[in-house]
Amino acid sequence: MAKEIDSEISYKPRILVIDDEKRIRDGCQKVLAQEGFEVEKAETGEQGIKMIEERYYDIVLLDLMMPGLSGFEVLAHVKGIHPEAVIIVITGYATVEHSIEAMKKGAFDFIPKPFSPEQLRVIVSKAIEYTRTLQDIANEKSRMRVLINRLASGVMATDNLKRVALANPAFLKMVGHSGEKAIGLPIEECVRNERLKGMIDQALAMPKEEFVELTDELKIGQEREGEEIILSARCVPFRDRLGRNLGTITVLHDITALKKIDQLKSDFVSMVAHEVRNPMNSVLAQLKVVCDGLAGELTAKQKDILLRAAEKIKTLSDLTTELLDLAKIESGLIAQEKESVDLSSLLSQQVAFHQAKAEAKHIRLESDCPPDLPSVVANRANMEEVLSNLITNAIHYTPEGGRVTVSANIENDYFCIRVSDTGIGIPKEELSRIFDRFYRVKNEKTRFITGTGLGLPIVKSIVEAHNGRIKVESEPGKGSTFSAYLPLIS
Amino acid sequence: MSDKQLILVVDDDPDLVEAVCMKLESEDYRVAKAYDGVQAWEKIKEEKPKLVILDVMMPNKNGYQVCDEIKQSPEYKDITVILLTAVGEAVTTTRYMHRDGITTLADDFIPKPIDLDKLMEIVKGYAG
Repeated sequence: MAKEIDSEISYKPRILVIDDEKRIRDGCQKVLAQEGFEVEKAETGEQGIKMIEERYYDIVLLDLMMPGLSGFEVLAHVKGIHPEAVIIVITGYATVEHSIEAMKKGAFDFIPKPFSPEQLRVIVSKAIEYTRTLQDIANEKSRMRVLINRLASGVMATDNLKRVALANPAFLKMVGHSGEKAIGLPIEECVRNERLKGMIDQALAMPKEEFVELTDELKIGQEREGEEIILSARCVPFRDRLGRNLGTITVLHDITALKKIDQLKSDFVSMVAHEVRNPMNSVLAQLKVVCDGLAGELTAKQKDILLRAAEKIKTLSDLTTELLDLAKIESGLIAQEKESVDLSSLLSQQVAFHQAKAEAKHIRLESDCPPDLPSVVANRANMEEVLSNLITNAIHYTPEGGRVTVSANIENDYFCIRVSDTGIGIPKEELSRIFDRFYRVKNEKTRFITGTGLGLPIVKSIVEAHNGRIKVESEPGKGSTFSAYLPLIS
Repeated sequence: MSDKQLILVVDDDPDLVEAVCMKLESEDYRVAKAYDGVQAWEKIKEEKPKLVILDVMMPNKNGYQVCDEIKQSPEYKDITVILLTAVGEAVTTTRYMHRDGITTLADDFIPKPIDLDKLMEIVKGYAG
């Protein structure tokens, strides 16, 4: 209610007292006006109805026993004009039967004559609270309806019997429902896509100790023009206070355009891969053949020049590869296939894979990973790349005789991979830039280390694409520690 | 030496095929060349090579398909297949990068850019 403070303050509930006894009318007016209500009076049922027809009253205090039109007749009439008006009947002689009958006909409460000002205040304030709650619910519903109907995403709610409780126009258009009304229909009559129906079943069957957002990508053929749209669908159950499933909410998002752009980018990436990198690869092989003397004897000088040329092309080729990787990661986010990945075993594999490289530099490469760590939902190839890049970097930037340790543990719902080295470290002022593309720390110590400056940006992109984060701590001369945090399944 | 094995080299870049073949010939292998997947099959039937070095990305039938067909044919399934992989991926690291079912049927792979010395090691391992 706090969000409607402005309108609440300016709004003064209006009360009408209909009673043939002047004493009661005046008494009520006095007591209620003190409470800050706007109070009006009517002597007869006929007058009361006329006033109600002219303007809206939040609360009507209605005497049941009046000459002329009886309270019951007025009650029926008021309910017809303003069903939301709250009616409190005033009953003489405490006739319980009458009161009960009035309540059956829609009165909110009754107050037996004679009553004290305190009794009146209590009953009216209860009625005000009730009408405000109704008003809040109505406002909330109206706000929600406008909001949901305005959304470009499709939104649908079902009840626990799988009937449509709410569906916005975007949703109906996306699922191709062209019938008149969807509200109240069994879901089968509104949604034809089997996978979407399956998601709703699954969400409804979800036990209360579990709460998972179900996601899927759906292809839905539009009836007209046979055009196909691609939807990202998310479905969750919603619950009452005791955790029972009351129904489901499904949100659809049209990602057809994104998919098309994604495809364009993939096409471009593979075009570049084939047209730019492959020639370089051939040149490398050609230079190698010539340098090996397979195309005739070479002078030492010629060989030296060609070897240096080959080295440059190799660097270019590596750069292209990494650029392609980065482009792929950045474009493929939506389509990235994720699966449950056992990071601990991946970690051991990667450590084993890089062992030879480490040994060549007399570096001790060790892994320290508890065996029973949970899996993470991730893209396997991406995770390999993260590990491989971090380990390769650590080996590159660690002098001979040093140590590289790869470890893993669980920290607050995150799977943390840590690669520590006893290398040259990173100066403090460079720390913030090492994840920038093409940035490389340049000083005496790094002069002979080659690289493209894309390894860490790739690692960062991947980790962030998995909703994780990457952290680095370093002390020049002592070593660096890179930590990648990946969220466990929520 | 005529007892040396015949090796088929398939890639859509003739320069690369030539370079690889020169290296193979320097090790006394006999070579055959093809420049796309369809030609590869013609050469396989014609020459019955011991080993095929097969590029993955090629016009007219890609390397995965050719590899799959070789491994499923009763007549040719014993031919050793070494894939040249470079499909816009970081193949610099591991083996399980390319695991779309078909690829695992190859006997071995070497990432591009090809390290010719390493390729020779692999070839010798299979073809002697």
